[in-house]
Amino acid sequence: MWFLPVFGLIIGAIIGSTITFQVPPIYVKYMSIAVLASLDSVFGGIKSILEDHFDGTILLTGFFTNALLAALLAYLGDRLGVDLYYAAVFAFGVRLFHNLASIRHNILLMYRTKKANGMR
Amino acid sequence: MRKTWLVPVTIVCIFSGFFLAMQLKVMANNNTLVNPLSQKNTNLVMIIKDLEKEIKDQEDQIEKVRNTIDDMQKQDVTGNLQELQEQLKESKIAAGLTTVAGKGIIITVDDNIEGFKVNSQSDPNKSLIHYEHLLNIVSELKIGSAEAISINGLRLITSSEIRCVGNTILINTTRIAPPFEIRAIGSPKLLAEISLNGELEILKASNYPVSLKEQEEVIIPAYKGSLQFSYAKIDKGE
Repeated sequence: MWFLPVFGLIIGAIIGSTITFQVPPIYVKYMSIAVLASLDSVFGGIKSILEDHFDGTILLTGFFTNALLAALLAYLGDRLGVDLYYAAVFAFGVRLFHNLASIRHNILLMYRTKKANGMR
Repeated sequence: MRKTWLVPVTIVCIFSGFFLAMQLKVMANNNTLVNPLSQKNTNLVMIIKDLEKEIKDQEDQIEKVRNTIDDMQKQDVTGNLQELQEQLKESKIAAGLTTVAGKGIIITVDDNIEGFKVNSQSDPNKSLIHYEHLLNIVSELKIGSAEAISINGLRLITSSEIRCVGNTILINTTRIAPPFEIRAIGSPKLLAEISLNGELEILKASNYPVSLKEQEEVIIPAYKGSLQFSYAKIDKGE
């Protein structure tokens, strides 16, 4: 069952690379925020699955609102001449690392308890 | 663990795959050109390079056609035709359409890079060879009755320009770069004399790296461009 998300990732990548439409250079900034937001959601989702408090609605709404808010913030920053874009990148980056660390912790924990159970 | 997580995670994964692919595509296409202005510049540079290549191709074609014409003219030379062909040959030499060789001088001038290194605070314009320098040298050579002149292998004919375009110099609509090698056919003594008392002397005094060689044989290539007269007609009185 775990392979379905991986399959989704590949399908998304194929769609993205086959579409001839190209993001204009001016919007590359916003695109990078979208990438970060989606990656953040993926890892956040995996983390919550491992911690056993997963909620599909929270994940989906979180994904869209985060991406939209970040884009809006970056746009506002562009208008105001303040680089809020970096704040979004920073926030998502920190969260990404945090989520990855939690995932590692949980997997290690699972592995150890399994081992301990097997020993007994 | 229930499977409720499967669908949402898959949806988010599809999105991230999509975004990742898009972003990678943009970055692969122009990883250094996120700045739209520089992208515009590279486009212009590409256009210029394409056009220059086209010019070169067409010049080669002109040369080829001229060679075939020459070959055809070399066939059966009899009587009156021979005389006419002699005339044609002379006209061609006068027009600069043939490679010529003879006694002459070779002048090389270059930007004063050393001088600029020593005194980097100074205006770089004062260490560069400008088109005026070349123009003056060429004019002096002409006064010294040079019979053929070329700069960096580009033959100067009646319609040749020496023109400043931004940070390069155009000759026969071709961009040239330092060091500049000016070849001239004529009396080596006279040409050397007049050059050394003119622009070259001034350049030397300003510490530009210049050199002048008198040579027994200087080879000057033919003009490669086209000669088209769309407006000028021979006057009826002629």
